[in-house]
Amino acid sequence: MITLAATDVVKSFSEGRQEIAVLHGVSLSVERGEIVALEGPSGSGKTTFLSILGCILTPTSGTVIIDGQRVDQLSAGRLAGVRKRSIGFVFQQYNLFPSLTARENVEYALNIKGMRGVAARNAAIQALEIVELGDRLDFLPRDLSGGQKQRVAIARAVASRPPILLADEPTANLDSQVGLQIMELFRNTAKQAEQGLVIVTHDPNVRRFADRVVRIRDGRLQ
Amino acid sequence: MVDLALKSLVHDRLRFFITVAGVAFAVTLVFVQVGLFLGLLDNASVTIDHANADLWVTSRNTPNIDFSHTFTETRVDRVRSIPGVERADNLIIWFMQVNLPTGAQEGVEAYGLEDFSAWNIPWHLTDGTLDDLHRGDYMIVDQSAVKRWGPYQVGDYREVLGRRLQIIGRSKEALSFTTTPIAFIDYWLLQQISPDLLRGSTTYVLVKLAAGADTNSVRAEIARRLPYNDVYTKAEWAERSRHYWVASTGIGLNMYITVFLGCLVGVVVVAQTLYTSAMEHIREFGTVKAIGGNNGDIYMILGKQAAIAAVVGFVLGLLQSLPLRPVMANIGLKLIIPNIMLGWVFAGTVVLCLTAALVAFRKVASIDPALVFRT
Repeated sequence: MITLAATDVVKSFSEGRQEIAVLHGVSLSVERGEIVALEGPSGSGKTTFLSILGCILTPTSGTVIIDGQRVDQLSAGRLAGVRKRSIGFVFQQYNLFPSLTARENVEYALNIKGMRGVAARNAAIQALEIVELGDRLDFLPRDLSGGQKQRVAIARAVASRPPILLADEPTANLDSQVGLQIMELFRNTAKQAEQGLVIVTHDPNVRRFADRVVRIRDGRLQ
Repeated sequence: MVDLALKSLVHDRLRFFITVAGVAFAVTLVFVQVGLFLGLLDNASVTIDHANADLWVTSRNTPNIDFSHTFTETRVDRVRSIPGVERADNLIIWFMQVNLPTGAQEGVEAYGLEDFSAWNIPWHLTDGTLDDLHRGDYMIVDQSAVKRWGPYQVGDYREVLGRRLQIIGRSKEALSFTTTPIAFIDYWLLQQISPDLLRGSTTYVLVKLAAGADTNSVRAEIARRLPYNDVYTKAEWAERSRHYWVASTGIGLNMYITVFLGCLVGVVVVAQTLYTSAMEHIREFGTVKAIGGNNGDIYMILGKQAAIAAVVGFVLGLLQSLPLRPVMANIGLKLIIPNIMLGWVFAGTVVLCLTAALVAFRKVASIDPALVFRT
């Protein structure tokens, strides 16, 4: 069952009087439980494409369907709603809130998504236990290692069980051993929850965890 | 619900301290300036507020209680004959010169009444008896005179317009806006001291209404019978006396400017610290948006932080201001902070801090959530 479908996506940005095209008719579909690695050199347009899939940017043309809903022409407010309901992000820089503990980081994301009180707290603890951080619930990000921070980020992304997970170079700041552990964990979590996972990466080690590898170059899929 | 606003605020303690200190400074400035202003204005009407008179008859266009003008004292009889008037007496308030033992001259604002007790003037006597004022060349002096006259004791003599009067008592809290010391002297004695100006004259008629009498109709009748005088209710006369100093001197404008500057300082400090804080945490706000938060969630964070800074800053500002009251009293100044002022300053602090948060919000609301992907 397809959970994410992008068809003929074009994205261009204005720079002065010039229109610079970054994506030239990119198409991609992801099924539930499928893991897709999106590879490409710097400047190839992969992060722009990920932003469009994540409802952070809208395409100049083309269609994007997420969990059955066409999203490519939605307003910023409605896109926020789609992100809230259907998408979990994992960032290269983790992007944890430094003033919140591991549990609070996950719980706050659940609060934003509409889950409150004990339910949110329990779901956060459960997600952190899945990523093997049950003993680090009350640690602030500054007291966690890079790998632990990324586990918190993964727990935050998966806790609300969104149908789509998007990860931007999740292992880039980790040593290779920790990176492999994180990918193993990420893969298992996504597979168990039948979440479609798109991973933007430069890391060749990530490839072996993917069901499918897609390469992008100069704004075109190869 | 995880309180990101509060946690983020206290996480950066130094910035939180600076923000709160800015608000507390502004709040203290407003309390002290407005409090001193109210204290000064209170002096302008303190006698009116404490006197038992329901109506005050003044000469035409008298601007305030201190700047009195004379009129014929027999007009009091016309007032006494009006139905609804329980009692009416002449009151003289008059500036005079006092010779001090040092050889210097100082001013005194003399209050002359036949029966001070009947009108609750003075209302706070610390030494002496009011009835003794009739028994000789005596006066009761407010203790605030020490500042202008130097130390004095009950039993001392002072020369008022060349006449030796013995100080037989001391009052408290009887102040004038002009800071001229107030002395209480028998009505007839006061006329004798300055016969050229005061013989057969008074400056006010105090009126006490009978129980159940209609203030407006008695007032109208007094005005009809005394067409060359003005008649004020107690509240009107107090307000007129206070308003004179606000309107005719710069203190009103000065107070408004200081309050404005205090508010401006508070807004600028809060706006600046919230703005720089928001800029430093811009990636966090981007993350809030990326995980599904909208501008409402962002403003909740910034607004709550501003509100917390406002509440904590207000409490600290108040705690700084209240101990200043006895300090000010020691130098002869009144710092009045009425309850209604607490409410207004609190509401103003919260509103201004929330307004200051809009500066940061405008910036954060326009951020591109795609920044979360940047390294």
